[in-house]
Amino acid sequence: MNPAVLTVRNLSVQTASGPGQRPAADHVSFELRQGEVLALVGESGCGKTKTAEAIMGLLSPDRWKVTADEIRLEGTELTRLTPREAGRIRGSEISMVFQEPLTALDPVFTCGYQLCSVFRRHRGMGRRESRESSLAMFGRVGFSDPERTFNSYPHQLSGGMRQRVMIAMAMACRPAVLIADEPTTALDVTTQAQVLAQLVELGRAYGTAILLITHDLGVVAQYANRALVMSGGKIVENARVDELFDRPRHPATVTLLSHAAGAVN
Amino acid sequence: MGSDLRLWGQLRADKAGMAGLLVVAAYFLLAVGVWAGMLGQDWSSAGGDRWASPGAEAWFGTNLLGQDIFQRSIYSVRTAFEIGLVVSVLSTLLGAILGAVAGWYGKTWVDGSVLWLAGVLDSIPFYLFVAAVAFALQGKPWAMHVAMVATFWTGTGRLVRAEVMKIKSREFILSARAIGLPDLVILARHVLPNTGHILLIQASIVFVAAIKTEVILSFLGLGVQDGVSWGLMLAESTQEVLAGHFNNFIAASAMLFVLLMGFNQLSDALQDAFDPREAAL
Repeated sequence: MNPAVLTVRNLSVQTASGPGQRPAADHVSFELRQGEVLALVGESGCGKTKTAEAIMGLLSPDRWKVTADEIRLEGTELTRLTPREAGRIRGSEISMVFQEPLTALDPVFTCGYQLCSVFRRHRGMGRRESRESSLAMFGRVGFSDPERTFNSYPHQLSGGMRQRVMIAMAMACRPAVLIADEPTTALDVTTQAQVLAQLVELGRAYGTAILLITHDLGVVAQYANRALVMSGGKIVENARVDELFDRPRHPATVTLLSHAAGAVN
Repeated sequence: MGSDLRLWGQLRADKAGMAGLLVVAAYFLLAVGVWAGMLGQDWSSAGGDRWASPGAEAWFGTNLLGQDIFQRSIYSVRTAFEIGLVVSVLSTLLGAILGAVAGWYGKTWVDGSVLWLAGVLDSIPFYLFVAAVAFALQGKPWAMHVAMVATFWTGTGRLVRAEVMKIKSREFILSARAIGLPDLVILARHVLPNTGHILLIQASIVFVAAIKTEVILSFLGLGVQDGVSWGLMLAESTQEVLAGHFNNFIAASAMLFVLLMGFNQLSDALQDAFDPREAAL
């Protein structure tokens, strides 16, 4: 078995204002191993996204209270980093693809500019160098005309293309871990398959472990090695994907499976 | 840039807006002419007869000192643009920075201080404030500019603050964080550029307000100290109108009226072009 690149132990997320409320994530623990695709599944509102944002350190401390015994990324303890150190790691060692690519890209800048800013920030590249790297990266995620994508504004691209731009930005520095938060939910079915295949292929090529957040068990069956099932903020099942489908142990898993079957029929 | 083209197309289709743009451009050329020393240089020489009628010698006639009213009203275009530009650029800049900082650190003491400052400045009657500043900075030709910049930024500041609070919760800010950009860089590169439409519209509104205010202040003797402006011409004309000489009064009023009408049409058109709800119709 491959070594773990991301270890999360007892991660809890609560609203800062109401400590009496049910936590968004409740003592979540898991390991993400090198090169694997780990699915995090669950109905909407079960705490998947908040878990991801807590790992990335994106939750604003005046609204969320995040506690964890350990969030370890390849030997670096993320919970103990200063904001400055965290900024150096985010986007280079661990990165994230968001659900809605139109709102996740800045409307007033070209896609090329936004990808360049990743290379400038983490690789210390200049204008020319970052431009060349960006064009290569756009080619890598399947754009037939990288030059044109480079000069396009987000609103000029289709949903699938925008998500590819997001993937290019997230994968630009060949991170150890990529968190993909429902990356294809906003896309239509055919585009979904293409974008996901691209993402998984790129992860394999770069040796990036992927935490794939989804509520779509079809996606899990096709792309993931293992799956975590989340319900009410807790991880209720952690299994290999074939086991999960053959012998679901938790009622939440059974419900998810029956819904997936219902959608097919 | 695609959206620029769309905006330009929208503006082009707006007839009143285009007329406004032409008027403003014509005035701007006059101002440039004065700056370059080609126009209106003869505004202060008191050579001719007093209260001469319009003619080949002096196109709009002369005032009570025998000065050429046409030359004076042209030179005043420069005065108006100087004040409009300086005040609108500086107050928009100040409003953008303070508003952005307040919005970014919303609901903290930083935000509270900026809002408090804006509230205090807004609560002082404007002409009283200008009089106080003019008194404090006696003899300084830029006392009026200081007073206007100090009070005109508050509107822009409030609008930018609200917009920044809105932008702050947008997902692309989260994704800028996710690629590891530091806060200040996000504020400067991803938040402020997204307030550009507000800044442009506010700058055009403040430009008009500054020109109007300059005329009023100069009329009251609190404004332009050296040089000439439409406000000073109107102040002179108070002595002339009673004697039945209207040239000075009409020239200054008409020049001011046409410029302000033009600019208002232009800024209305800009506002329409930038409003996403209008664009969606």
